[in-house]
Amino acid sequence: MMPRPTPANDIRPRFVVAVTAVRWLSEGTFEIRLERPVGFKFLPGQKISFVDGALRRDYTLLGPVDAPELALCVRHVPDGLFSPRLSRARIGDRFQITAPFGYFTLKTSGRPAVFVATGTGIAPFVAFANAGARGFDLLHGVRTPAELYYRDLLFTAARRYIPCVSAAAGDGEIGPEGFAGRVDRFLSTQYPDGAYDFFLCGRIQMIRDVTRLIDARFSGSRVFIEAYD
Amino acid sequence: MKIYTQTGDQGKTSLFSGERVVKSDARIHAYGDIDELNSVVGALIAALLPDSEAAEGQLKEIQSDLFQVGAWLAATSGSEAQARLNSITIGYSQRIESWIDGMDAQLPELKSFILPGGHPTAAWAHIARTVCRRAERAVILLAEQEAAAGRSFEGFAPIVAFINRLSDYFFVLARWLNQHAGMGDVQWQG
Repeated sequence: MMPRPTPANDIRPRFVVAVTAVRWLSEGTFEIRLERPVGFKFLPGQKISFVDGALRRDYTLLGPVDAPELALCVRHVPDGLFSPRLSRARIGDRFQITAPFGYFTLKTSGRPAVFVATGTGIAPFVAFANAGARGFDLLHGVRTPAELYYRDLLFTAARRYIPCVSAAAGDGEIGPEGFAGRVDRFLSTQYPDGAYDFFLCGRIQMIRDVTRLIDARFSGSRVFIEAYD
Repeated sequence: MKIYTQTGDQGKTSLFSGERVVKSDARIHAYGDIDELNSVVGALIAALLPDSEAAEGQLKEIQSDLFQVGAWLAATSGSEAQARLNSITIGYSQRIESWIDGMDAQLPELKSFILPGGHPTAAWAHIARTVCRRAERAVILLAEQEAAAGRSFEGFAPIVAFINRLSDYFFVLARWLNQHAGMGDVQWQG
C-alpha cells in the first residue's frame, strides 16, 4: 500500500512512541510492539497511522485493549516507505503515530458472524478475539501455511477456523479444517446458504469477489469492509 | 487505500450499518442529497468574496454538521453502528437560527418576492437552498418509510428541523451576500 499524503485537516492527536519489541511471524510478516501513551484508548478493530511528514500508513491494533503495549501486525514490503524501517527498528527507536480511529469494530446481531481475512487483514480479527469474541467462523486466506499467524488464538476463539491456502501445501500442513484454495472459492463451494454478518478485511480483490458472492448467494447478510491495496 | 473497491458495480452498496441495499434505496437518496448539498456549500465557500470570514466560518461548520448527518443517515435506525455516532441534536437547528437572526438584522425588510440570482455567491446560496429543500423531502420520505416499518421517528426529528432551518439560512445568506457585494435583492417584477 502506498502511503497517502496527510489530509490538510487531519487533526487527530499524535504521539511519539518507542519500539519495545519486533518479532517475526513469518518470512514476510512481523509484529511490532510500541510503548503505550498515557490515556491511549481504543476499540477492538481500530487502527493507527504511522506518520512521517506528509506520508502515513495505517495499521490495525491487535490488542488486548488493556495491554501495556500497542501491538501491530506488519507485512514487510521491500520497497515500502514504512515497513522496511519498522522491520529494522531497534528497541527504543521512536515513531510518530496518530490517535486510534476507524469504524471496523465488531457489531453483533442475531446473524452468525463470519470473518474473512487475507494476509495481515487478520489483524482486526485478532483484536476481536483478544477482546473476547467467540463463536464466529473465520476464514484466513494466505499463500502458504507459514503465513497462518495467530493460529492458536484464533483456533481457540473461533467456532470454525478455516485456513484457506492458495499455494500448494504438503499433507497435513493446513490441518483438517483447512482448504486448498482462496477464501471466495471456499465460500462459494463449501459454505451453507443463509444470512450472516460478514466482516471482510484484506486486499481489494478479495473484498470485491466476496462482496459479489454475498450479493449473489447470501442475501439478507450485512457486510462490513476494511480494504487495503 | 484505493478509492474504488468495485463492490458497487452490480447496483448495490453497503450501508454504514452493514446492510447491502440497492442504490435506488430511499436511504441512499437521502444521504446522497445531503452529500450534494455539502458539495454546493463547498462551491459557495470557494466563491466567497474577501471580508466574508463570518459567513465562511458558519458554512464550514455547516459542512461538518452535514457530514455528520450523512453518516447518521447511512446507518439503519437503532443499529449499533448508528449508536456509535454523535447524536444530531436540536442544538444544530438552534445554532442556525441564531445565525439567521444575526444576518437578518443587517438586511432591509423584505417587501416583495425575490428571484434567485444576483451576485455569483448569492446564486450559489440559492442553489444550496433548493438542493437543501430536495434533501429535506428525501429525508422525510425515508423517515416515513422507517415509521411505516415500525421504527422510531425520534432520531429524524432534529435532522428534519436542522435541514428545514438550513434552507431558510441559505435564503437569508443569499440576500446578505447580494448586499455584501453591493447589489441588493433581485426583485420579482410580476
